[in-house]
Amino acid sequence: MYRSSTIAPVPLRFEVVRRFENFHLECAATFVSGVTAVFGPSGSGKSTLLNCIAGVTTPDEGSVEILDRVVFSSGARTNLRPESRRLGYMLQEAALFPHMSVRENILYGYRLTPPERRRIHPDELVELFRIGSLMDRSVANLSKGEGQRVALARALATSPDLLLLDEPTAALDSVMRGTILEFLLRCWRELSTPMVYVSHSLSEVLAIADEVLVLSDGRRVAYGKTADVLVHPDVAKMAEYAVLENILEARVIAADGQAGMSELALGEVVLFGPRTCREPGSSVMISVRASEIIVALEAPPRLSARNVVRAVVEEVHEVASGVILYVDVGVRLVVEITYGSSRELGLHRGREVYLVLKASSIMVLDALVGGG
Amino acid sequence: MDWALLGLSLQVAGVATALNLPVALVLSWLLVRRRIRGRLLIDVLVSLPLAVPPVVIGYLLLLLLGRDGPLGAAAHSVFGLDLVFTWVAAALAAAVVSFPLMIRAIMVAMGGVDERLEVAARTLGAGILRVTLTITVPLAYRGILAGLLLGFVRAVSEFGATIIVAGNIPGRTQTLPLAIFTSVQTGKDEQALRLVGVTVALAFVTLVVHNWLLARDRTRRA
Repeated sequence: MYRSSTIAPVPLRFEVVRRFENFHLECAATFVSGVTAVFGPSGSGKSTLLNCIAGVTTPDEGSVEILDRVVFSSGARTNLRPESRRLGYMLQEAALFPHMSVRENILYGYRLTPPERRRIHPDELVELFRIGSLMDRSVANLSKGEGQRVALARALATSPDLLLLDEPTAALDSVMRGTILEFLLRCWRELSTPMVYVSHSLSEVLAIADEVLVLSDGRRVAYGKTADVLVHPDVAKMAEYAVLENILEARVIAADGQAGMSELALGEVVLFGPRTCREPGSSVMISVRASEIIVALEAPPRLSARNVVRAVVEEVHEVASGVILYVDVGVRLVVEITYGSSRELGLHRGREVYLVLKASSIMVLDALVGGG
Repeated sequence: MDWALLGLSLQVAGVATALNLPVALVLSWLLVRRRIRGRLLIDVLVSLPLAVPPVVIGYLLLLLLGRDGPLGAAAHSVFGLDLVFTWVAAALAAAVVSFPLMIRAIMVAMGGVDERLEVAARTLGAGILRVTLTITVPLAYRGILAGLLLGFVRAVSEFGATIIVAGNIPGRTQTLPLAIFTSVQTGKDEQALRLVGVTVALAFVTLVVHNWLLARDRTRRA
């Protein structure tokens, strides 16, 4: 939460009330981390909140501060126009301008940014999002994934103080989704533009956000560190842990090694997975279902599953549908098991366990990204 | 063929259309994109000329533009001009009558532009005017052009309001429909038919272009 000792400006602080005929949004929070997610079922007010922050919707009451700069305050009668809020806003559909080329789209906002505020150069973005070969194309000929990357580059070309992302992966298949998450992570690392990531996928939130705000029916249900919020009792009611995925960044050691399998490094751990088209040495996002990881107390001696990894249990949380474990294998993984298994194994914090994982339950999100 | 007659008709309709375009663009934008107060009333007023007989419009314009009317008196005292029974009055009559068709078409065209594109442009740093000029109008231009043409053909066809406020003076205020009226009245059937042919041809060509524009617009959006 808000720390008065923090010297660095707070990315976002808000307190908004917005009343509609049949829906009220009433929510306050202070986002202190680089990437903060807003999670909630559809209709929970996520997009309305983003619109209030962006100035597309005017709250009835409240205030919005971006990097300690007041952009809206009902008390002080401040209401900066969207174009003056120095925000990047990426809408669900890329919303690229159809009458312009990719290049013109990206330069649209860049040209409107005062030179002294230009921190990010378009060339840098073209390289980061690998869209060099798309620049002279018409936006009508882009795939969905390409369109999202161009939209990201366009938003970042204005060197925004804060990047708002409204379910950027909603229209994408799971493989393309991984690629966008990979780009977003890279984008945060290299450009350090704070982000607010709206999503209705807990897996994505877990993959990308340090902290998360959970909304339901226009109200704040929980806010805090992603791992804590994920198992919060009120969040558990709306979460579907059965489909929860660990989406992680891995390094390719062998793309198509022995018996057509890839070798993927996750920190110190090497996993066997399905073959990938990515080059050895490059990074790739992989996804593993929390419910497909088997937990054993001893290393199983002979087994068809290809991966047996030693791990330490960090947290055990009982939720409505079962038990959620956070385990450390060098990186943190989420595992979902049943009450019965948990009781039988007697799992507790600090317990050493072995995780068993079939190669085929690892999904490599390696959509080819053309464009050099 | 009387070229002066055709020229005057095109001049009257052209000036009427040119007067209407900026008003129609601004008003459509307000009606389509802003939640302005009195929206319903403005919407009705905008379409009213479509619903009342042109003769009524002509009479109201006569009251407005006559030397005792507010506009007519102002024009007389400032420029020393009388508006009534001039081609300017004919153009104003044509403008009022053709306005609803033009603005309705432009509203459809502007409403068809994805609002999210405008939101995206705003957050990229563009003000309302810039968004309108660089996003809305370029994306709606075929529809806007189609509305322009529709207004133009209606302006060329204008008769009822024109004859009241501008009269039927050959060479000064007599446009094609008025000339046809005179020809029929004076039994010059052959001339009437010839003018009818010209009028129909003009309307036909304009509508072909109009429909082609709208068809192109639809395929581009699809």
